[in-house]
Amino acid sequence: MAFRKIDIDALEEDAFGEDEIEFQEIGELRPLSDVEAEVNSRAQEVRSLLQRGNTSGALTTALQNPPYGAPYHAAKARNTQTVMEAVISVKVVDMAQVAKGLSPEEQDVLMKYLYAGMAAPEQYNSGHLLSFHEKLTEVAGQGCIVRVITDRRTV
Amino acid sequence: MSDAPIVNEFNQGPISCHAFNGDRTELAICFNTNVVSIFRKSGASWTQTSTLAEHDKPVTSVDWAPRSNRIVTCSQDRNAYVWTLDGATHQWKPTLVLLRINRAATFVRWSPEEDKFAVASGSRCISVCYFEEDNDWWVGKHIKKPIRSTVLSLDWHPNNVLLAAGCADMKARVFSAFIKGIDKKPAPSPWGEKLPFNTVCGEFSNGSGGWIHSVAFSPSGESLAFTGHDSTITVVSPGTGDVQSIRAPFLPYLSVIWLNESQIVAAGHDCAPHLFELKGQQWAFSASLDAAVKKADVGFTARDTFRRMDSRAQSATSTDTEVHTQHQNTINSIRPFSGTPGHVEQFSTSAIDGKLIIWNAHSISRGLGNLHL
Repeated sequence: MAFRKIDIDALEEDAFGEDEIEFQEIGELRPLSDVEAEVNSRAQEVRSLLQRGNTSGALTTALQNPPYGAPYHAAKARNTQTVMEAVISVKVVDMAQVAKGLSPEEQDVLMKYLYAGMAAPEQYNSGHLLSFHEKLTEVAGQGCIVRVITDRRTV
Repeated sequence: MSDAPIVNEFNQGPISCHAFNGDRTELAICFNTNVVSIFRKSGASWTQTSTLAEHDKPVTSVDWAPRSNRIVTCSQDRNAYVWTLDGATHQWKPTLVLLRINRAATFVRWSPEEDKFAVASGSRCISVCYFEEDNDWWVGKHIKKPIRSTVLSLDWHPNNVLLAAGCADMKARVFSAFIKGIDKKPAPSPWGEKLPFNTVCGEFSNGSGGWIHSVAFSPSGESLAFTGHDSTITVVSPGTGDVQSIRAPFLPYLSVIWLNESQIVAAGHDCAPHLFELKGQQWAFSASLDAAVKKADVGFTARDTFRRMDSRAQSATSTDTEVHTQHQNTINSIRPFSGTPGHVEQFSTSAIDGKLIIWNAHSISRGLGNLHL
């Protein structure tokens, strides 16, 4: 099956490559410092909401304007941490209600973060994420999962 | 007319594409092979009358011009043929079309006037084909820019000039396919006024990525609907500047048609046609048109329970693997069957399960209360 290893795009002068797809989907990248500042201030905001016991508010805030784009590796990890803090504080019995309260866009973003969280089982409690995943799928349907797979704007 | 959908089972393998003739008495259908079979309606069933065998790779799309009674087929072998019926012998005669593409042809549609057709392909272009009297030959003119990947679907605007294309580069576009000498200058529309060939009249994205599987102009041509692999349906109306993306909670839709100006039907990986309606100014999912009745468990005994557990590692209560819809696999094509473009009464769907189903759209408005997911 050697032919499967041939990179046929290398033979094509004008290939539709990853870089171009990412540019098309994400657009012009913002300066790194801006993104990091935004992510950090959001982390503060989410934490203060959590301290006041406003879990759904914290989750909604955490899901706004996530950093997209390859260069923001650190900011993405930081933002995942922020979202996870909000997700972990949602009790299992409240999950369905919280998921219903999100807009369709927020539901899609939350699904992205649930998968991102499950990709790091040593850091985040997969059991908790899995039950949130189940409740979110009941509310937002399989379409929500499909959109996580197709979306090039990864978290 | 009964409201129940008419199910035609061919049992010849997955259906890759289908098209009816003008009066719906004949059917061209491809079972994912390199031949297209022609069936004639006899009573309630369909009898095969001939085959169109000229392609040497699987046929990807077929279209039947209703008035001029010509069939066009395209295939992975990078060719398209126009088939005309020889009056004396009643044989279909192929004419090769010069597409000039170096990848598979994916989709073909006659223009409303039937004097042109467009072939989408993997070589990042659309071949707009027309008959050149001087050479007695079908020739193609390429729409290239700014397509970046395989074109997956096409739809003609009622004015015979504009052409919508759904593409694997996550964009739906509207082009001008104006051919000098064939088309008259079109009346200005919301899509544009001056329309030389290859003018890009619109470029749209669905928001969350994914290939654009299907595109469809509304009956008036004022709006365009397209579906993507991200399970969304987007409706754009350049006249009002309105762009609405509906995030469906279901699996992606592969095909979409308009029943009228305020109803859209889409179907795909969920195996059932879904209705979307314009309520006020807002498009929203309305209902599944497949009642999806659960089949009663027949002969449900302890023995069956154990057999099921043994063969499928499932307990008796779990029936998640059954598909309760009429189609048992992905629907890949929806086409209008009866009615007029602005008022479709029946439409047909073909699917990978080898079934072709004709659905009544008129039962929708009446029995909407009874339908559920």
